[in-house]
Amino acid sequence: MNLLFKHWQQRWRMPELRLLLLALIVSVSVVTAVGFFTSRVENAMQAQARQLLGGDLVLTSARPLDATYLQRAKALGLETAETISFPSMASRGDKLQLTQLKAASNTYPLRGDLKTAATPDAPSLLANGQFPARGEIWAEARLFTELAAKVGDAVNLGRSTFTLARVLTEEPDRSSNMFQLAPVVLMNMDDLQATELLSPASRARFNQLFAGKAAVIQQFQKAIEPQLKPTERVRTLDEDLASVQETLQRATRFLGLAALLSVVLAGAAVVLTSASLMRRELPAVAVLKAMGMSRRQVLLDHAFSLLLTALLAAAIGVAVGFVLQFALAEWLSQLVGKALPAPSLLPLLSGVLTAVVLLLGFALPQLLRLVNTSPMQILQGALQRPQQSLLWVGASLLLAVFGLLWLQARDWQLAGMLLLGLIVGTVLFWGLATAALRLVQALSKRVGGGWLPSLGRSRRAVLLVVVFATGLFALLLLTTVRTDLLNRWAETLPADAPDHFLINIQPAEAAPLQAFFKPHGVELNLYPMIRGRLVEINGKPVRVDDYENPRAQRLLEREFNLSSFAEFPVSNVLLEGQWFAGATQGLSIEQEIGAMLQFGMGDKLTFDVAGQRFSDTVTSVREVRWDSMQPNFFVIAAPNSMTQMPQTLITSVHFGEKKALVTELIQQFPSITAIDVGAVVTQIRSLVEQVSFAVQGIFVFTLIAGVVVLIAALQSQKAERRRELAILKSLGAGRALLQRRIWSEFLLLGALAGALAGLLALTAGNVLAYYLFDLGISLNIVPLVVSSLIGSVLVGVAGYWNLRGLLQVLPLSLLKS
Amino acid sequence: MNNTAIQTDNLVKTIPQAGRELQILRGVSLTIDSGESVAITGLSGSGKSTLLGLLAGLDLPTSGSVKLFGQALDGLDEDQRAALRLGRVGFVFQSFHLLENLTALENVMLPLELGTQTGDYTVLATQALQRVGLAERLGHFPNQLSGGEQQRVALARAFVTRPQILFADEPTGNLDRATGNEIIALLFALQEKLQTTLVLVTHDETLAARCQTHYRLVEGALA
Repeated sequence: MNLLFKHWQQRWRMPELRLLLLALIVSVSVVTAVGFFTSRVENAMQAQARQLLGGDLVLTSARPLDATYLQRAKALGLETAETISFPSMASRGDKLQLTQLKAASNTYPLRGDLKTAATPDAPSLLANGQFPARGEIWAEARLFTELAAKVGDAVNLGRSTFTLARVLTEEPDRSSNMFQLAPVVLMNMDDLQATELLSPASRARFNQLFAGKAAVIQQFQKAIEPQLKPTERVRTLDEDLASVQETLQRATRFLGLAALLSVVLAGAAVVLTSASLMRRELPAVAVLKAMGMSRRQVLLDHAFSLLLTALLAAAIGVAVGFVLQFALAEWLSQLVGKALPAPSLLPLLSGVLTAVVLLLGFALPQLLRLVNTSPMQILQGALQRPQQSLLWVGASLLLAVFGLLWLQARDWQLAGMLLLGLIVGTVLFWGLATAALRLVQALSKRVGGGWLPSLGRSRRAVLLVVVFATGLFALLLLTTVRTDLLNRWAETLPADAPDHFLINIQPAEAAPLQAFFKPHGVELNLYPMIRGRLVEINGKPVRVDDYENPRAQRLLEREFNLSSFAEFPVSNVLLEGQWFAGATQGLSIEQEIGAMLQFGMGDKLTFDVAGQRFSDTVTSVREVRWDSMQPNFFVIAAPNSMTQMPQTLITSVHFGEKKALVTELIQQFPSITAIDVGAVVTQIRSLVEQVSFAVQGIFVFTLIAGVVVLIAALQSQKAERRRELAILKSLGAGRALLQRRIWSEFLLLGALAGALAGLLALTAGNVLAYYLFDLGISLNIVPLVVSSLIGSVLVGVAGYWNLRGLLQVLPLSLLKS
Repeated sequence: MNNTAIQTDNLVKTIPQAGRELQILRGVSLTIDSGESVAITGLSGSGKSTLLGLLAGLDLPTSGSVKLFGQALDGLDEDQRAALRLGRVGFVFQSFHLLENLTALENVMLPLELGTQTGDYTVLATQALQRVGLAERLGHFPNQLSGGEQQRVALARAFVTRPQILFADEPTGNLDRATGNEIIALLFALQEKLQTTLVLVTHDETLAARCQTHYRLVEGALA
């Protein structure tokens, strides 16, 4: 063991092993930094989502929930709360208003905060554990307006009279009930019975909220799930927060992709470095075998060295990654004004795994070929690389790349696609580089380019172009991805993204509403909203029991929001069929709902709209971006085909700073409900900012990884270059000539690599934008020009810098060593 | 005690080349006694190095047999042959083949570390380097040493385990005449002192003449 350790220490004197360590550290750092950071952002988002739910886990039912769930939770040490909400009329004098009454136990909410104001115009403050006392209610400002009441007035609910104690401005689970029409009234659970409002016929929603340690919550959920009655279900984050989740998912993919590029680049450095390491170790192994070293010892010696290197890289990389994500998160918390929760420890594991997989897959097979080095070679002068097991090396390389891709993407399909992309990319790069060099050869023969024609036959030149092009490609792709895609993405969510939905607009109010907004320069897109229940598909009655998917069941139990209009929604994508161009018949459905409820093109759907039946055939399928903040519909009927149906109108507006306008609007149009989705918009916007910032951080790693590959490639050719320069010098080539030769070779190779990289980055960026991020195509050729210049300068300088030492040396000593 | 260090019987080595078999050795039989110094000479391509490799068990013959320390090599795999050499066989090569990332001292310590020798390796290696006149160069790396100095380090490395047999492949091939002579003087002095069997491959006839036995290889056969 001591000896193995000693040999490992001695190998440190080889630049190759140090390069190997550097490449590994870069990969581990980027993987762990991104991993830790993503985990923290994810935790923060989950916490926020839980706040929006009001607890870590919410059990909900249309019937009273069994008290045993509460007892069980308390026994496990969980916090609990209960809410019952149902629509109810509130009255004051001769004024009546429909409210959404919410009776809650005084532990509510378990997560998130209640916010209240002293009067409808006063600033909103945290309730800080306060809760409506018995005999008091807190209500939304709209109730004050509707009942012409002020704080302290008495309001009747059922058989009880309550004092309007405070204005309720925010309660955590409101966003999950975005389309609620009536103002919310919060009352103490202990007052509910006396009102006599709750009867078995009430359309009430019973909730039990639970909070506690994640593991206990999971244990609890597992225990109760089998016992849930058909009417009872556990509410999860993804169903209520689709838009936030979608954005979050996109954000983490973005970061993962950025990290992946650095890892792939570092992987290339590992392959190149281990190849030169092997070349260097070849004579040593042959000598040692001649002295009597066994194959097992050779294997052990190298495997130990590599493993120790991997562990050292993992330790340093994890530490660097941890510190970096700390800085990243710290900066971010200043940006969003909120501290991020602690990360999970999982990224630590994936960091260590990345180092081990990189070495096992990329370096070990190369070095294992050493085991088969024949000691006889040492007597024969020319040392041959063992040729066998090349297939095995290739297979292990592919497997390792796939493993790394999976570690980042956590998705077999995506990892497979990326692997395929990498293989195609490498072949493409190699083919294009060879073709480009042949072209140089052909051209320079015509103009008498001196030694340049030899480049066309040089595999070394091809390797350099491929390596530089790959590095530049990764850098460029990331730059285009960061600036271009992010800009395009941000454009889909502009600063004036709607922050309010206005619903319950009566058709007669459409014109006055437009007139109300006209002075503010706003023109509203009003969409009809018709509530209908899906009753038949192709004439066959739809039964809830026919569907196993609980989400499908819920969708069928509720009424759909249908609409009917002529203009194709900008935030949608047409997947199949034709949009209604002048047609007066047909339905356009959202892709996912069609897949879930098993209907599609050509199927005839029948809806029950307030007792009237409405049937039509599906003529198109759309993909909907739910995070667009525009009104979106599962089903849209041909324009004017539903005019006879009872309907209201819906629109979305950007109020921004002009919050007072909302109050003015409600006063003028009392029946319209304004739903503030600004919080969600802000959340998504800040997420976009977070991501763009984080990608910038990761960009630095890709840059480092690119430089490491560059050095690795140059280092791997140094011995050959040394011999070549010695021969040229001994033939009488002067320093100036050699300098010129080196400069022109690397400038040319760099420019070629840059052009190649630019071309492919442009293509790949668009493919990614289209498939991965659902964004449109754009042709920006600036990167192509810039990358040729950057490639030429970067490679020229790096190449000259790497070889300049050899220019000083006398030809004799070059030959000797 | 067995007095024979190496014995071969009708050694044949062929290698496939350009679709047909090329015969490098054609039935070589020889016996080398313990403590004897043997020179093998011949023109380039006469099969000298191949024969050396077979004698040392670095490779196996196509037919015929080799006995090293009385042990037949055919039937032994690469590792078993390596185990047979370990600590008992030393090598000196034409291009020195020192490990570039190791100092002179570390290079000399290598064979000790591989084997089961007892004693303080640093002390043993230092003494070996002192014997070749490099006491002042212990911490130097190969690229900081001249060709002659590098071959001295190789000599120290070869002799440090006090091997029973030393194989030398053109030990002066990369050196100028004066340095070559110094190295040869050192080589024979050490061989004599340690009573090592010496198998020396060279094309230098005067060098071969210093050995007790002289075999000439002509087109793969002993002349």
